[in-house]
Amino acid sequence: MRNIFLIARREYLERVRTRGFMVATILIPLLMGGGIATSILIAKHAKSSSHIVIVSSDLALATDVEKQLNTDTDRNMQLNVIAPPSENTRPALQRELKAKDIDGYLWITPSAQDDQKPGIEYRQGSSADLATRDTVRSALSRVLTRERLAKRGMSAAEVETLMAPVDMNAANEEQDNTTASFAGAYVLFFLMYMVIMLYGMNVARSIIEEKTSRVFEVMLATVKPSEMMAGKVIGVGSVGLTQVSLWMLAAVILTATPLMTHLLGGGTHISISAQQVVFFIIYFLLGYLLYSSIAAALGAMTNSEQELQQLNMFLVMPLAFCMVTLPLVLNAPQNVWSRILSIVPFFSPLLMYMRISVSPVPWYEIAISIVLMMVAIYAVIWIASRIYRVGILMYGKKPNLPEILRWMKYS
Amino acid sequence: MPTVQLNNIRKAYDTKVAVEGLSLTIEPGTMFGLLGPNGSGKTSSIRMMVGITVPDSGTVQLFDKPFERKALERVGYLPEERGLYKKMNVLEQIIFMGKLRGLSAAVAEQRAKQWADRLQITDALPKKTEELSKGMQQKIQFITTLIHEPDLVIMDEPFSGLDPVNGALLQDTLLELRAAGKSILFSTHRMDQVEKMCDAIAIIYQGKLILEGTMRDIKREYPRNRVEVIYEGDNGFLNHAVVDEVKHFGTGSASLKLRGDTPDAQPLLAEAVARGTRITRFEVKEPTLEEIFIERVGGRVDA
Repeated sequence: MRNIFLIARREYLERVRTRGFMVATILIPLLMGGGIATSILIAKHAKSSSHIVIVSSDLALATDVEKQLNTDTDRNMQLNVIAPPSENTRPALQRELKAKDIDGYLWITPSAQDDQKPGIEYRQGSSADLATRDTVRSALSRVLTRERLAKRGMSAAEVETLMAPVDMNAANEEQDNTTASFAGAYVLFFLMYMVIMLYGMNVARSIIEEKTSRVFEVMLATVKPSEMMAGKVIGVGSVGLTQVSLWMLAAVILTATPLMTHLLGGGTHISISAQQVVFFIIYFLLGYLLYSSIAAALGAMTNSEQELQQLNMFLVMPLAFCMVTLPLVLNAPQNVWSRILSIVPFFSPLLMYMRISVSPVPWYEIAISIVLMMVAIYAVIWIASRIYRVGILMYGKKPNLPEILRWMKYS
Repeated sequence: MPTVQLNNIRKAYDTKVAVEGLSLTIEPGTMFGLLGPNGSGKTSSIRMMVGITVPDSGTVQLFDKPFERKALERVGYLPEERGLYKKMNVLEQIIFMGKLRGLSAAVAEQRAKQWADRLQITDALPKKTEELSKGMQQKIQFITTLIHEPDLVIMDEPFSGLDPVNGALLQDTLLELRAAGKSILFSTHRMDQVEKMCDAIAIIYQGKLILEGTMRDIKREYPRNRVEVIYEGDNGFLNHAVVDEVKHFGTGSASLKLRGDTPDAQPLLAEAVARGTRITRFEVKEPTLEEIFIERVGGRVDA
């Protein structure tokens, strides 16, 4: 145990002290903040502030459209109404459009008959300004719908009620919970995926590095290969955990600022219970350890980064499989398949967590999944250390599967 | 109480037999040389002594007890291919190695500083390992091997890649360790070094032991049938009847092998004096280790 701790400590300190670690730790939250700021800016900009001229022979219709556009854009748009148009209105508008005095004009020709749609022509200076186009279109369709409803004999009040936006009041307790669990599982999935891809592979890399720098021989004359593997998995793993927790902390701080709460104002509320948090942490840690151990085995099998890349899929595939089966488990958490899959060690971190969040799971199934994961971690490290010990004695050659199986028998 | 005892060990990798039927004993306070050409099984044997691999059959005993990992805390191992953590600070690296062998951080640091002082690399301690020259890294590696004051020091080809100054420094260090009662085993293919330093040797060839014993005993088995001569003038005496083989090294220097099991060099010297040849050196001695090695191995190559 002392040796595992010493090795883990060394790996941890060596990595945490590097400039790369510091830069990444600081830079990523900055980028996150930057990203959020940019998206706010874009969101603001998306509310069009263009200068549009509305032309129609029907003054009432034109002012209706103007009013609607004003409400839709919080009076950010500069609007002019020309009604009715004269002979040279169109050439004048074209000129202004070319000179960029206006950003576009909307030409509405009222229909001769009542049940026909009016002719609408919209000219824009910059065809790429999709936001403005959309704003104009939606305003126009609302106005025209309202007008047609009024023509059918509805009162203005009736039309207003009819056109009021739908208020979705998701008061259903169950529903809310599922959404939250689903979100929780997705967060867990992406967190695991990211951390495993970023740091799990570091475990493999550190093992390869030890082979190329040839430190392993001295190390193996002092410690057991399994201690070495365990130390590396824990040490390199903790680096990832440190960084991710720092990032999450930064994210929490960022999203907690008044600015953010204002912007997200009344947005999605995800409530997670304390029990869920505990399971989240347990399954995340065990899953992370398990996948890091697999990475360690991959590192033990290979001699270079390139070879390692080819074996990447052994890490990604089980995760991808979880993603595919996630809907099944979500829809039928008590299904036999769901129950079996969720206690398979490679899948339990995601699937069992999902089941626990969605529906009550018997305690013994939870216990089995946790015990099986621990056994799997131990077994994978044991296998990895076997492969490692024999693998280093035959450097330069990439092993094939029968050879690896034979290595297991060696001591 | 032998420090190391290998009993009839065998190790095969896949299809290749690396070591077969190897038995040897290393006594405390001796300098033991493990000899053999490249690929003869030296490194494989050493790896079994330090627990990197386990023999397929046969037993390894360290400090008179069956092999156990705990005993490795009393062993210092320097592998043939040196390796240090490149990005690690030198002092921390030495302390780390010391702690893995059961030292406290304080003791390890104190010893690291003593050793660094002695090998004149104190300046290097705060640096990163990758910033150091190769020779410096070698010294660091020696310190990490010896930091826990092991009772058994095992070095695989310790002199390879060392410049003469550092080679001499290492040699002195090893001799001091022997004087302090430690057992030292090193492998090499440089016979001259072994002849000078070792108390006992073992020669392995193609995984098998072909010669083992103390230097004195081995030499005693061979007759004193070699003569080194340096002379001026007539070289006719070299054709004397007792001479079996002659190797000329330029003019006036030769190495002779005499005939028979109990050869006498006296008649040869008399012949030379009679011919009026000036003799500046005339030394009768046993065959060198190299010659013994070639003689032993040579026969097997044909077999």
